[in-house]
Amino acid sequence: MATLTEAPPPLSPTAPAKTPPRRRGRLVPYWLLLPGILWLLVFFALPMIYQASTSVQTGSLEEGYEVTWHFATYWDALSEYYPQFLRSVLYAGSATVLCLILGYPLAYLIAFRAGRWRNLIMILVIAPFFTSFLIRTLAWKTILADGGPVVGALNTLHVLDVTSWLGMTSGDRVLATPLAVVCGLTYNFLPFMILPLYSSLERIDGRLHEAAGDLYAKPITTFRKVTFPLSMPGVVSGTLLTFIPAAGDYVNADLLGSADTRMVGNVIQTQFLRILDYPTAAALSFILMAAILVMVTVYIRKSGTEDLV
Amino acid sequence: MTNDTSGDVRLSGISKAYGSFTAVHPLDLTVPQGSFFALLGASGCGKTTTLRMIAGLEEPSAGTVFLGDQEVTRLPPYKRPVNTVFQSYALFPHLDIFENVAFGLRRRGIKSVKKQVEEMLDLVQLGEQARKKPHQLSGGQQQRVAVARALINHPKVLLLDEPLGALDLKLRRQMQLELKRIQTEVGITFVHVTHDQEEAMTMADTVAVMNAGRVEQLGSPADLYENPRTTFVANFLGTSNLIEADVDSRSGDEIVLKAGGGKLVLPEARCSAPTTTGGKVLVGVRPEKISLTHAHDAGEIPAGRNRITGKIADSRFIGVSTQYVVDSPVCPDFEVYAQNIDRDTRLVPGADVVLHWNPAHTFGLDATQSLLAGTVGSVGIEEEAAV
Repeated sequence: MATLTEAPPPLSPTAPAKTPPRRRGRLVPYWLLLPGILWLLVFFALPMIYQASTSVQTGSLEEGYEVTWHFATYWDALSEYYPQFLRSVLYAGSATVLCLILGYPLAYLIAFRAGRWRNLIMILVIAPFFTSFLIRTLAWKTILADGGPVVGALNTLHVLDVTSWLGMTSGDRVLATPLAVVCGLTYNFLPFMILPLYSSLERIDGRLHEAAGDLYAKPITTFRKVTFPLSMPGVVSGTLLTFIPAAGDYVNADLLGSADTRMVGNVIQTQFLRILDYPTAAALSFILMAAILVMVTVYIRKSGTEDLV
Repeated sequence: MTNDTSGDVRLSGISKAYGSFTAVHPLDLTVPQGSFFALLGASGCGKTTTLRMIAGLEEPSAGTVFLGDQEVTRLPPYKRPVNTVFQSYALFPHLDIFENVAFGLRRRGIKSVKKQVEEMLDLVQLGEQARKKPHQLSGGQQQRVAVARALINHPKVLLLDEPLGALDLKLRRQMQLELKRIQTEVGITFVHVTHDQEEAMTMADTVAVMNAGRVEQLGSPADLYENPRTTFVANFLGTSNLIEADVDSRSGDEIVLKAGGGKLVLPEARCSAPTTTGGKVLVGVRPEKISLTHAHDAGEIPAGRNRITGKIADSRFIGVSTQYVVDSPVCPDFEVYAQNIDRDTRLVPGADVVLHWNPAHTFGLDATQSLLAGTVGSVGIEEEAAV
């Protein structure tokens, strides 16, 4: 027995010892993916399915809702609330453009010129996050209050005449006008523009600027032909991170706007929480999602940054 | 060379200080039109700073920069008729090879660039790669793009900042020859910064050896090698055996020296230091100039040669030659490179030998300097720098 059991080992230990690690190695990525997939399934996929089913239900709160594949809800919601949809796109778009105009120079400054002040400025950019979103927006209510110093100054400088003529303000008020909502959106989402811009600018090799200068590019041309194209990944992710949440936002329009500045987020909120018309709210959410998805896809295609992102 | 001086680079008294640190001490330098000029030195010696001041990427703390007759000291880089090949190439990653090369032409408002760019890409043998992005090319190809991108502008002066530093040895050798060929072909002034003494000697007509922000010595590669004037140059360019000696007497234009009991002869013309009888002088001789004879055959050495006795401490066979380290009373590790023609099998570690050489190959240096300046491990010299 002893001789028999001892004879075969040279073969057997090597074979099983070699295969299991390889098999385990192949499965490792899936194990690592598992928590994320479960998370997505439970907190994204399932609610989406639930919402999708809600959007095609009919009934009433008293009698209960049931799935009747009533797709007309989508059409009804869109035809009734398209002004709010357009307004959302307009406000979010304006806020995104403003964020880009305000954020790019600052991100550029932090990335290339700030020197030892870099960390301090970065902290200042992020500092507003230490206060609640709601409190920050409420603060703007005070800042833009009627007869306050800001409105007074804008009035004296005749800025309000211009904005009123453009339909962005009315009379000598800023609060409860489109301008106030766009200002609030811009303020609240500015860091989401600055951070990706900064990270893509910061990655640009300083020698590329020198090389462009060496090759007869004036500083402004260097920016146009080298710096800006290389910062496109930051511009794209910054605009997406600003536009998408801004388009669905309702807090700014609620606190700083009026009945005339309601955005689609406000409509969804009202439908869900006040009117309790769940199918319409769900349908509106899906339309918003689809619209954003289409716009984003077109935008990314157009900006041609797929290979840079 | 021609009488055209528009490609001259003249630096007059330029210096650069960063706070209390002086990177470049006041420096006067003239690089004649059409020459291949190398600035050689270890890292931190100020060579790159000097180059960047010519390019306009760094503003001198004092002094003036002339290109031809034009003063460019305060001119921004984009207004200077010079182009640079950067150390890491600095190719624009978002543009393809064609657009990288066309960049300078387009900035100067030239519309039809196609023909010129294609010709330039052919010159550097990259015509096929025109539509690729820089990251798709190998290091050597990227290097050639960087050269093409600069050369297409027909600069008065081409500045090269360690352009071959990132390439492996074989490719570097090949690119050295390539760059030299291009320079001869286009006839533009090249100013080349490198820490590789072999690279500088292979390519350049004139080499300026820099150390601690100053030019130690300037001359043709052969001149620098044969007639170093400082111990730094003697040790940084190749290897030198340096012996401390006392001046004994003079006979005609020769100086007779005493070192370790023996006598050495040094031609006066080859001594860069003032000598007084009884004073000290450093005597140098290159390892390949020395012959090695076994002590038993000492009688066969012709008269009139400088001799030193010693014992072989180590020998390394490296194919074309054998490198011996000889322990002698005047210098503990005397380097001798002997060609492998007729190998004397008695020349093994432990053997007593006589080192002898033609006195004409002896050079003399000021004895007040450090013997070790410019060797590996001395201040400012890194391992790679002396390879």
